[in-house]
Amino acid sequence: MSDAYFEAWRGGVVDTMIGIPATAEQRKREHYDRFASQILDKEAREQFTFPAQYMFKDVPDFDSIEDPVALLIAEMDTFNVRWALLNVGTNPVAREALAKHPDRFVGGCSVDPNSGMDGVRHLERAYHEYGARSAQVFPAGLTPQVPINDKKMYPLYAKCVELDIPIFVNAGIPGPRVPFACQDVAHIDEVCWFFPDLKFVMRHGAEPWEELAVKLMLKWPNLYYSTSAFAPKHYPRAIIDYANTRGADKIMYAGYYPMGLSLERIFSEMPNVAFRDHVWPKFLRENAARVLGIEAALP
Amino acid sequence: MPDPSGNPAFDAARAHGVIDTFLAMPSEREVQVRKYDYIRDLAMDDATQAMEMPAEYMFKDVPHYDDLPDPVAEVLRLMDAHGISMMLSHVHGEECRLRPDRFRGFFHVDPNQGMEAVRALEAAVTERGAIAAHTWGTGANPQVPINDKKMYPLYAKCVELDIPMVLYVGVPGPRILMSSQEVAQLDEVCWFFPELTIVTRHGGEPWEDLMVKLMLKWPNLHYSTSAFAPKHYPRAIVDYANTRGADRILYAGYYAAGLSLDRIFEELPGVPFRDHVWPKFLHENARKVFKLDV
Repeated sequence: MSDAYFEAWRGGVVDTMIGIPATAEQRKREHYDRFASQILDKEAREQFTFPAQYMFKDVPDFDSIEDPVALLIAEMDTFNVRWALLNVGTNPVAREALAKHPDRFVGGCSVDPNSGMDGVRHLERAYHEYGARSAQVFPAGLTPQVPINDKKMYPLYAKCVELDIPIFVNAGIPGPRVPFACQDVAHIDEVCWFFPDLKFVMRHGAEPWEELAVKLMLKWPNLYYSTSAFAPKHYPRAIIDYANTRGADKIMYAGYYPMGLSLERIFSEMPNVAFRDHVWPKFLRENAARVLGIEAALP
Repeated sequence: MPDPSGNPAFDAARAHGVIDTFLAMPSEREVQVRKYDYIRDLAMDDATQAMEMPAEYMFKDVPHYDDLPDPVAEVLRLMDAHGISMMLSHVHGEECRLRPDRFRGFFHVDPNQGMEAVRALEAAVTERGAIAAHTWGTGANPQVPINDKKMYPLYAKCVELDIPMVLYVGVPGPRILMSSQEVAQLDEVCWFFPELTIVTRHGGEPWEDLMVKLMLKWPNLHYSTSAFAPKHYPRAIVDYANTRGADRILYAGYYAAGLSLDRIFEELPGVPFRDHVWPKFLHENARKVFKLDV
């Protein structure tokens, strides 16, 4: 365990992936039913309420929630998460949370590239009206799936460049039992080449292409990696090594609460991650703040 | 005013002023020849290297000027001689600056330039009065197909700016690959960008029947007759204009690239358009599609 970790942690954490607590039934309706038609295997169809639940122990569970925003903020306070990135694009509760607590949340806007110009306009509206400061896409969870380097993504990437906001994109084998080809890390090369000003943040591990992810981060200055959906003890070795060497500015913390991990588990494992001392404040806070443009507002 | 042509419907339509949606400003011969160097770079055959105009094997009497002290005056002279009230050119040209009442400009984009092209297009429209985007993916290096991802940010910007995209379809004249301007590629673009207005150039051959099918299917797809002498207008296009497509077919010449206005206007009255088509073809459709009256 490292004093540097605790010192950095006490300065406050920015979590680049958090969600509004909801019952399993609500989450299923709001998020997972949208790609249920793509899931063909019987076990996942009939027994999973969360399509990647076979990968996670102790998925946070709620019977009923009186005030989900208060619950979330209390949880954040307990673990000293000062800021968290919430999807305000599709969730009205998240929108309200951001409006009421602009000092605790940063808005992201999930976009479906299948919706063409409507999606572009939705992103622009979320930026101007809801205060969204990032876009996010889950390529494997779309119907139909859309590869990271597909033409349908290009108008969205262009809009992110115009708005000067980052885009968070899932990369690597998806947990839900749907095809992975659309999230191949290799696709990112072409996007970074064609949109050199685009700030692109990988989500969800990039496994088993984490070494390629490192190569591409070395090559492309605006490519980043966030640790969403991974318990700290499973952070890939290549990513930790990169953060400890040339990539200290490229790796940022993301949790997965309440979708699949509790903050309690994340922050009990976190001190054991083998980051070097100087990496901790960058990882826990500074890199995310810089990419999201909230540095000035940090405590 | 030009003399009567023998086709009263044509003459009546022309009396309101023709809008020619294709103008390539003429230059003196040596300058003109060098304009096509980028096409020679893409060609592999020796014959193209030796051509003054890289599609000249298809044309008789390509316009040439050995001495051209005032190109704008020369174009205006020809326009007046043939009843052309306005020509659509390129927004950065001298002619658009000097005579905005007679010339309006497109802005040419190279899709290989990514966001720089997007930003330049936006600036050209908002600051310099460009009325459309224009690209020729076949002449880009590397070539960029109509339905390529590199085109998508430009199409999105055209929708946002509410301007048409002008592009080229059909087998190209210069001896370079045709695969980036197949008519079939329009289908996907019109599907994904239903608000996008497209005006095609250069004939669409040999897929003119598909072109008609796609215009029936997609309400914002249009066809202009550039690079074709009127006696070679495809039969399918003339038939479509005479039936359901009167609002979709726009006149475009090919001056000064490959055809003289004298030849075009000598042949034009002989095209078997029905009477009601002529005003739409010669000026109304262009006014509407390019919002020239706004």
